[in-house]
Amino acid sequence: MASLTSCYHCGLPVPAGNRFQAHVLGEPREMCCPGCQAVAEAIVAGGLEGYYRHRSENAANPEALPQALGEELALYDRADVQQPFVRHEGELASTCLLIEGVSCAACGWLIEKHLRSLDGVAEATLNLSNHRLHVRWKDSQVPLSTLLEALRRIGYAAHPYQPDRAAEQLARENRRALRQLGVAGLLWFQVMMATMATWPEFNLDLSAGMDKLLRWVSLILTTPIVFYSSVDFFKGAWRDLRTRHLTMDVSVSLAIGGAYAAGIWSTLTGQGELYFDAAGMFALFLLAGRFLERRARERTAAATAQLVNLLPPSCLRLDDEGRSERILLRELGVGDRVLVPPGNLLPADGRIIAGQSSVDESLLTGEYLPHPCAPGDAVTAGTLNVEGPLTIEVQALGDDTRLSAIVRLLERAQADKPRLAELADRVAQWFLLAVLGVATLVGLIWWQIDAERAFWVVLALLVATCPCALSLATPTALTAATGNLHRLGLLLTRGHVLEGLNGIDTVVFDKTGTLTEGRLTLREVHPLRELDGNACLALAAALENRSEHPIARAFGRAPQAAERVDSTPGKGLEGLVQGRDLRIGQPAFVATLYGQPAPPIPGEQGQWLLLGDRQGALAWLVLDDRLREDAPALLEACRARGWQTLLLSGDSSPMVAEVAQRLGIDDARGGLTPDAKLAVLRQLHAQGHRVLMLGDGVNDVPVLAGADISVAMGSATDLAKTSADAILLSNRLDTLVQAFALARRTRRIIIENLAWAGLYNGLVLPFAALGWITPLWAAIGMSLSSLLVVLNALRLTRGA
Amino acid sequence: MAALYVMIPVALVVVALAIWLLFWAIDNGQYDDLDSPAHNILFDDEDPSHKAGQAEAENPTKRDEAPPRA
Repeated sequence: MASLTSCYHCGLPVPAGNRFQAHVLGEPREMCCPGCQAVAEAIVAGGLEGYYRHRSENAANPEALPQALGEELALYDRADVQQPFVRHEGELASTCLLIEGVSCAACGWLIEKHLRSLDGVAEATLNLSNHRLHVRWKDSQVPLSTLLEALRRIGYAAHPYQPDRAAEQLARENRRALRQLGVAGLLWFQVMMATMATWPEFNLDLSAGMDKLLRWVSLILTTPIVFYSSVDFFKGAWRDLRTRHLTMDVSVSLAIGGAYAAGIWSTLTGQGELYFDAAGMFALFLLAGRFLERRARERTAAATAQLVNLLPPSCLRLDDEGRSERILLRELGVGDRVLVPPGNLLPADGRIIAGQSSVDESLLTGEYLPHPCAPGDAVTAGTLNVEGPLTIEVQALGDDTRLSAIVRLLERAQADKPRLAELADRVAQWFLLAVLGVATLVGLIWWQIDAERAFWVVLALLVATCPCALSLATPTALTAATGNLHRLGLLLTRGHVLEGLNGIDTVVFDKTGTLTEGRLTLREVHPLRELDGNACLALAAALENRSEHPIARAFGRAPQAAERVDSTPGKGLEGLVQGRDLRIGQPAFVATLYGQPAPPIPGEQGQWLLLGDRQGALAWLVLDDRLREDAPALLEACRARGWQTLLLSGDSSPMVAEVAQRLGIDDARGGLTPDAKLAVLRQLHAQGHRVLMLGDGVNDVPVLAGADISVAMGSATDLAKTSADAILLSNRLDTLVQAFALARRTRRIIIENLAWAGLYNGLVLPFAALGWITPLWAAIGMSLSSLLVVLNALRLTRGA
Repeated sequence: MAALYVMIPVALVVVALAIWLLFWAIDNGQYDDLDSPAHNILFDDEDPSHKAGQAEAENPTKRDEAPPRA
């Protein structure tokens, strides 16, 4: 069997008898394939060996990245192709590229240094959070294709990045939030200074003129804070009041607006205390809380819906004489004929005219074994042609393809998604009513006693029972917990995940790629005659190395090459290795080589392949899609919480029932289309269940969009990652188990924070009602209570 | 105390300048990526083994393997 050395570059196992090496950091290192060897040599030749010292993760295997052909790269030099994503500024062109294969911070250094060392490149900066590379270069000196080629040589695939409107919107909003925060902070410092001078505690020898000046200055400086930085609070409050909800925004707007209005009055009349600093403090603390929350979530919005990655960027169109021409996908029309070589994605829905092959439809069904097809069959855009060249007549493009139908399904599912009410908003409602009630009462009482002071007392009450701690209670806890989860390997893209996890009662799993590794691996070799396991494996690998079939990938590299290999789609491979005629594949196919009936398959589980030569059968080879090691632990955790478990898979093989039985899943259904999976979800919702979905393929996308909480595997397709509420970057299921525990702790801490905020306000209320609170005490109280809430939330950054 | 009549307007001007500078920096994209700079400072171009690697790249030592075969 394969030895246990792993490739120095990408970490995948290196087969026995390997001949690929590269000299890195002073020693010869084992590599698993020519791709890794070439990349390692290119890195060393560029003087960038420091990459291997500093990296914290293995690199991506370069052969796993999409293969861009030389002629396809040349397409990127055409002016009309460049126009949407390349900008020209004088001599320099600048563009943004999305890089695939970035695994850790050292990759950023590697890419930047390598590009900068090329002549003509003025600037190259990689953003590690969203894998975008910003390049400025002289395009008269260096064409874009050269840059793309250089990147490929060190092992990274680059696509032109065209931000969709959502991504641009997000970038604009982030900048706006930062500006609002900056203005609030800078101005509040000045306002605090000016206002403090007017407080009775510090007011020693302030002349009347100086006092007036300071009041006016405070007013001028606070105005931008109220009208620019706090605008979103007011808009939110207005929207919520119109739908008759009392939320956090309403109480914050009351506090800021009230303090500001009172301050104007105070400045104009020259009496009463100034509360401008309170308005500034609210604005700053709350904006800071929201900004941190936004940043914690924004790292993940990197995986934007790049539908372009599901379809190939270019294709080969055949004209009437049968000559092929490489064109961009958008230039293709219905009725055109395209040639799809093996290993390429199909660019459009269509019908096969010529060629026999098999097509990998895991995109639609989740089944990892390709589906044999022949002239006359219909095929779908985005699926992979595996074995032989196909000529297709285009029947549907773009929005009319089955792929777009799935996307539309997901959009509808998203719209119907049930909303989880946030705990903090419910508390805010109750709290605000209480405060308003007490304020009115206190105001009325003071009106009887001393009408002058009534207004100021009520104001002090509103300010002192500040919603600061209450508003910070949830965001701080969520931010701390989200950061912790990010470190553990679970990226949350939507805000309601942590709170929602506590309300789940049903879990839906996908099978392939989620509970299993998603890859065929060689489990056993049973030799039947004189050759031992290793020798049989070597012969089998020699045949399989020429095939693009997923089964072939399980065999690793062969020590010797086969002289001739022919493939019969759906049956197996035949070839000549070291003078022997061999066949590998289905037992019936192999048995016809030595002319006897096929031997029965000895075992139950897995995919059994027979290897045979002209004398008889040589060995049985068993392939399996291995179950993830941590899957049982995850199921155990779900059962411990009393959740109902379901397995919904697009795979119609008996593996579905087998996996369900091994893991103890209550309900397992196979052979489901995306529509069917969504129907099951709707049924669960109708029964009142709250559902958590874990999946990875495009066929899971509508359910991921519609489930209450959805988690996509890190190895999922881009579309699945964007539709999900969280992404399991580590691909380790035990991270989810930790997440469940963390969600519970988070809820406890949010409740503790809310309780503290309530308690503090309860304590302060009597003092404020009696008129003993001055701006100084209000400020101190606000700061201390907010600090306590933040510190309590920070407990969530530790442990799991 | 009369100094305050000068100091306060000066302070206002300085704050206005600070805000303008902040806006310029934000629009210039300097705050778009707050994570990479934390990693970038750790890469040491003066590291001896990096320099050894560069020297090796310029004068490659002889290697003895046969050309790779698939």
